[in-house]
Amino acid sequence: MTRRRREALAAYAFLAPDTIGLLVFVAIPMVLAFGVAFFKVDGFGNYQYVGLANYKLMAGDDQLWASLKVTAMYVVTFVPIAFVVSFALAMLVRNHFKGIGWVRSAFFLPNVVSLVVVGLIWQFLLVDKRGALSRLLAPLGLGDVSFLGTPSLALGTYVVISVWFLMGYQMLVFLAGLKDVPKELEDAASIDGAGPWQRFRYVIWPLLRPTSFFVVVNSTIGAVTGLQAFDLVFVLTKGGPARATSTVVLYIYEQAFTFNNMGYAAALTTVVVAILVVCTGLMFGFTRGGRFDED
Amino acid sequence: MRIRFFPILAHVLALIAVAPLLWILISALKPAEEVFNFGWPAQWTLDNLQYVLLKIPMPRFMLNSAIVSVAVTVIALFFHSMAAYALARLRFPGRGIIFSGIMSTLLVSLPVILVPLFLVAKQLGLLDSYAGLIVPSIFHAFGIFLLRQYYLNIPRELEEAADLDGCGYWRRYWSVILPLSRPVLASLSVLFFLANWNAFLWPLTITRNPDLRVIQLGVSGMQGQYASAWNLILAAAVIAAIPTVVVFVAGQKRLVDAMKTTGLK
Amino acid sequence: MAATPFPARQFSRRSVLRGGLGALAASAAGVPLLSACGGNSSGGDAKEMSFWNFYGPSDDQGPQSKWFVDTVEEWNKNNDVKVKLRYIPGKDYLNGTTLQTAFQSGQGPDIFLISPGDFLRYYNGGVLQDLGSALSDESKADYLPGLLEARSVDGKVYGLPMEIEPLAMYYSEAAFEKAGLSEADLPKTWDQTLAVAQKLTNGKQYGVMFETQPGYYQNFTWYPFMWQGDGNAIKDGKVAFDSPASVQALKFWGDTIKNKVAPRKPLGDGGGDVVSNLGSGAVAMQQSGIWAVADLRAKAKNFKYGIIPHPTPDGGKPATDLGGWAFVANSKGKNPEAAAKFIAWALGSTDAAGVERQRQWNTVVKTNVPPRKSVQQAADAKGAFAEGALKKFVSEIAPTGKPEPRFPPEVYQPIADAIQACQLNAADPAKAAADAAEKIDTFLKTYQGAPIS
Repeated sequence: MTRRRREALAAYAFLAPDTIGLLVFVAIPMVLAFGVAFFKVDGFGNYQYVGLANYKLMAGDDQLWASLKVTAMYVVTFVPIAFVVSFALAMLVRNHFKGIGWVRSAFFLPNVVSLVVVGLIWQFLLVDKRGALSRLLAPLGLGDVSFLGTPSLALGTYVVISVWFLMGYQMLVFLAGLKDVPKELEDAASIDGAGPWQRFRYVIWPLLRPTSFFVVVNSTIGAVTGLQAFDLVFVLTKGGPARATSTVVLYIYEQAFTFNNMGYAAALTTVVVAILVVCTGLMFGFTRGGRFDED
Repeated sequence: MRIRFFPILAHVLALIAVAPLLWILISALKPAEEVFNFGWPAQWTLDNLQYVLLKIPMPRFMLNSAIVSVAVTVIALFFHSMAAYALARLRFPGRGIIFSGIMSTLLVSLPVILVPLFLVAKQLGLLDSYAGLIVPSIFHAFGIFLLRQYYLNIPRELEEAADLDGCGYWRRYWSVILPLSRPVLASLSVLFFLANWNAFLWPLTITRNPDLRVIQLGVSGMQGQYASAWNLILAAAVIAAIPTVVVFVAGQKRLVDAMKTTGLK
Repeated sequence: MAATPFPARQFSRRSVLRGGLGALAASAAGVPLLSACGGNSSGGDAKEMSFWNFYGPSDDQGPQSKWFVDTVEEWNKNNDVKVKLRYIPGKDYLNGTTLQTAFQSGQGPDIFLISPGDFLRYYNGGVLQDLGSALSDESKADYLPGLLEARSVDGKVYGLPMEIEPLAMYYSEAAFEKAGLSEADLPKTWDQTLAVAQKLTNGKQYGVMFETQPGYYQNFTWYPFMWQGDGNAIKDGKVAFDSPASVQALKFWGDTIKNKVAPRKPLGDGGGDVVSNLGSGAVAMQQSGIWAVADLRAKAKNFKYGIIPHPTPDGGKPATDLGGWAFVANSKGKNPEAAAKFIAWALGSTDAAGVERQRQWNTVVKTNVPPRKSVQQAADAKGAFAEGALKKFVSEIAPTGKPEPRFPPEVYQPIADAIQACQLNAADPAKAAADAAEKIDTFLKTYQGAPIS
């Protein structure tokens, strides 16, 4: 056996466990979704071929459109807010000061706690009239506001909680990115008379573009299909009130496991995958200059 | 002036950020009738924690979570480092395609494939078992990617020295690469442990046997059984969170290192 | 799914896209793995049967849990085929997915509890066992009229009710006193309800409360208000939801929230949980079921309360919804014959021990209207309904009741959405009712299962 062949064989052996695992538990499920989407599955193991009926159902399914809207609203609010907040935090804790270790940990700590616990915590803090937050806001005349019970407020509340949960993590990502910004460059700009804004605009920002891009892609994917779109909503509001926080993934879960419409849920899955592929493709396309080629 | 202002602001914001967590901790130590009192408890109590630990099978839930998290972490790191080694250091036909294939699965998150994955798990007889909790959770491209990045940076000479001694590829991996990757594996194990300890959706979907409940299911289930007993629900939440906070504090440096060295250098 | 998020800026645009599209293309290929679908092994004769329920054995080991444990123990003592209880917390059972997932994977329980709202889903899924052969004629005749019919298809009985649970309005005497109100102020009409609730609402307390969490339970508690105006969701197999009766009922519930006299998020377990809401002083009036009498007895002994029938709209008639869970057997379970026998024995036995077991469940460990005549007589003999709230429930409220409708999810869901939208999102009731009616209509046109009633 040539050295080359030996090396190749060894490589395949090394790769086998993970590749097979990913095939069985990620790739096949994706393929399977496209298959099951053509069936009506009744929840008692009975399959019936229905062609494109599941896809046709979608057009008239207001709840689906409502949940797509919820997810879209969530993405367009959560992603920029989380971006700005975590970037600001990163700038704040970029340079050394006394107690910086504790401050950084404090911002990251919510991310360590599970989304289930986060959901419970905020439910408790936001109990109507009695919760700590209602008490805190009572002097402002906001004591009667039901943050989780009012459709117009629930989504915003969910966004704020998500930001609180994820800001520390994104802050660390930015911090790591900021390490790549040479101090000398900033100093030089400073000597040339650049103010803080100009230093940010012309030195830091361009150098941070790869990091920013990563943060945006990552948090967009997370907001559409991440666990925060399921675990948190599931515990916090169950998609209520009046479906105001019913995200697409929660809706798919309900269809599959509460109403036993596995076939319809599978069809929805394929649509979400398609949307995701298109969105990510667009993002990659728009950021052609972002230097993300293989190293 | 500026130098003093921002650190103070940072401290204040940090306090606000952890305030909800501290409030929960305090509330869990209040007697039932005081739980909604807005202030320091008139009297501290461990009753809630005791009740949750003794009357509710919380220790069992934690044991389940520990078994699953540790098993997934160990097996996943082993498999991922093997795959990453091949991708980073070995030449073979189809490397590019396999690498892209693996990376493309990064786009797919659990909620998206939940329904078909459930059907696959059902076919494989994995429902309602430890295997079902563990096996599908092992495979994730993220770890492979990070380890590959790390391995790309290990100097070739180290490996070649081993080669001169006539080591096979397995020996090279086992006695050169693996020991060298101890720091990165330690960092990743913190992340993996946290992610699996906090897992909720998959266990929710495939387990029904109460003996297999993991901690997150146990805590969320508290709401069903003790809907109005916030003192107990909070005590359970605190208990579920303690291990993660401990792991975080202990592994904090590694976590940050991992970010710096592998992902974003 | 070690779903660990992590920064990774170097992954390649090209490779990710290529891989993603490749997977997509591969996915279009076909339908693998579907071959071995279906398949609970049917008609076995195993020696152990699982019994899923939301009562026992629970952590707190209360009297209701004990009744389940004792009943099963009694059966196991005298029978070869043993029953094994599995407790599932109420919320997980009622609105959760535990049961569905189990059936989905072909591992459904042998015996389980079912509400009228879920009856058709399971019947149409072909998993309900005909209990007829296990049930004596004497036992059948003992049930109050209509109860078995609600759990029957084509004259075959598929579920035995364990209880009848009417709904009423509970009020807190202390709250009324504090607001300077007397018994004369107890509301009889919807308008009075809104007005009285206004007076009872303050910084810490809401005047009235209806369920706000979506689910079968909420629909169940809302139907009486629709019936009061002589409305219905389905009449003679056709949709009838788009009626003035539905519209005004939707509006009434919405008004309680719009006027800020009812909470958007109840405490504890919600509408069915009187202890956490009325009992804690968070609300002054609360719609709930007869079970709350036992709950208050057990957990808020000194709490003074009364009950009144549901207030009615102008020109409306009194109405309540008679809920009640039933035992059913899984026809594809491990031993459906024995499961049917167990159910007939546990709930339907007409001997003295059987009647006493039922009396205990319906009037001692829990408070219900007993579904069987002999049990009612036995309970009456012990003075179970001689006074207070229970007397009122049995003599005044239950007679105005209709059994809870057995709507499949496709009928239940549009109604639930209409209720939610009007109650919490100030939607236009007329439009919401019309939308829901349209969806139900579409569904009914292609529905082929057992009759919906």
